[in-house]
Amino acid sequence: MSTNIESFGISVEVPDGWNGQIFRRPGDAGAQPQAVDEGDSSTFPVVHVGNFWLPAVRGDFGSGAVEQMSHDDVLVCLLEYEPEAASTALFAHEGIPRFTAGDFDPRTMQRSVAGMAGAQAFFRVNGRAFCVYAVVGSYARRSHLAPSVNRVLEGIEIG
Amino acid sequence: MTALVIIEGVVILLLAILVVGLLRSHADVLRALHELGVNPHERTPLGGAAGNFEIATRPGVPEPRAHADLGAHDIAGSTIDGGSAVVSVAGVDHTTLIAFLSSGCSTCADFWAAFEHGEADQIPGVSTRLVVVTQGPELESVSTLAELAAPGLTTVMSSEAWDDYGVPVSPYFVLVDGPSGRVAGEGAASSWPQVLDLLRKAVADGGMDLRPRRTRREFLTGSQREERADRELATAGIHPGHASLYPETLDDVEGDGDDD
Repeated sequence: MSTNIESFGISVEVPDGWNGQIFRRPGDAGAQPQAVDEGDSSTFPVVHVGNFWLPAVRGDFGSGAVEQMSHDDVLVCLLEYEPEAASTALFAHEGIPRFTAGDFDPRTMQRSVAGMAGAQAFFRVNGRAFCVYAVVGSYARRSHLAPSVNRVLEGIEIG
Repeated sequence: MTALVIIEGVVILLLAILVVGLLRSHADVLRALHELGVNPHERTPLGGAAGNFEIATRPGVPEPRAHADLGAHDIAGSTIDGGSAVVSVAGVDHTTLIAFLSSGCSTCADFWAAFEHGEADQIPGVSTRLVVVTQGPELESVSTLAELAAPGLTTVMSSEAWDDYGVPVSPYFVLVDGPSGRVAGEGAASSWPQVLDLLRKAVADGGMDLRPRRTRREFLTGSQREERADRELATAGIHPGHASLYPETLDDVEGDGDDD
């Protein structure tokens, strides 16, 4: 079972017992990501999905939430970038990626937290550029937790 | 032998008096129920004028939910910024206090103000989370909500959640026990201190465990361990500057052993 949430052309199946949010930072209400002009102060959609309580105040890469994670917890962050980025080499991969246990590395954490590990990948879908960043609460249990990350990624659709 | 027979007779007599008393009490209860129009043997109300009575709350007090569904429902809806969110309250390891508020009701204004001043941080037990749920954007003023809702407040707009929980009036509060996925308590309140009081009672009545969940950071950094060590040392009479904390020789460290 899962609950579907959808905003800004992004649909996410949030598994039962998990928490999720699709949001944009204040000041950009009403602007569609594809229609944002260059120089606009608008930010782009951010998706956070975790199997633990997500505090209301969080950074785009999950700061504020990561510190609350226990060893069985998982956090998936999806961040959209400006459309122009989709044509760059960094975002050349087409489609939402999946992670293996080997992709998770403590050095990939945005802010290092002992015992935890992160994985990051850049990609594009329908001309939209994205970064997916996932954190597992235990590097030692990354083989066990990576499938949970992929389960969330499989439930994401980008219009 | 004669004494035993006498004692046994007295005990039997006392038991007989007790049984008669219970039967009379039972008869009184049945008579009272009958006068109220209830026939416990038929399990249906009796007819007649006495059978038409209704139980109602006092004027101004919200009626309890018509069909009390004690199962908790996760909350899904839109957010004030135009996004969307789902908050799981059932099958999780914490307790959730759901505050059903509105942008329009005057009583709710006190709660919005209280939350803005950080009073939501004073919920009993670190493991209790607060979620504010308003009606959907079609029934609320989103711009007003944007001014009312504090940034640190998890706020979801969901008319479906109001339907799921049968919210009769706002402000209304529902306490959900995450592990069991059941509603532990609910009701209306006019002030935040009143909610806290109801919450403490609900927690005490339900025997719920609100002990704080240690975060990984607390576990790894040992921030609580340092406080605990200080406390235990103080209990033992060892305070900052105590000579035992600054040994100069091994004999100072093993002093107790040498004494033995």
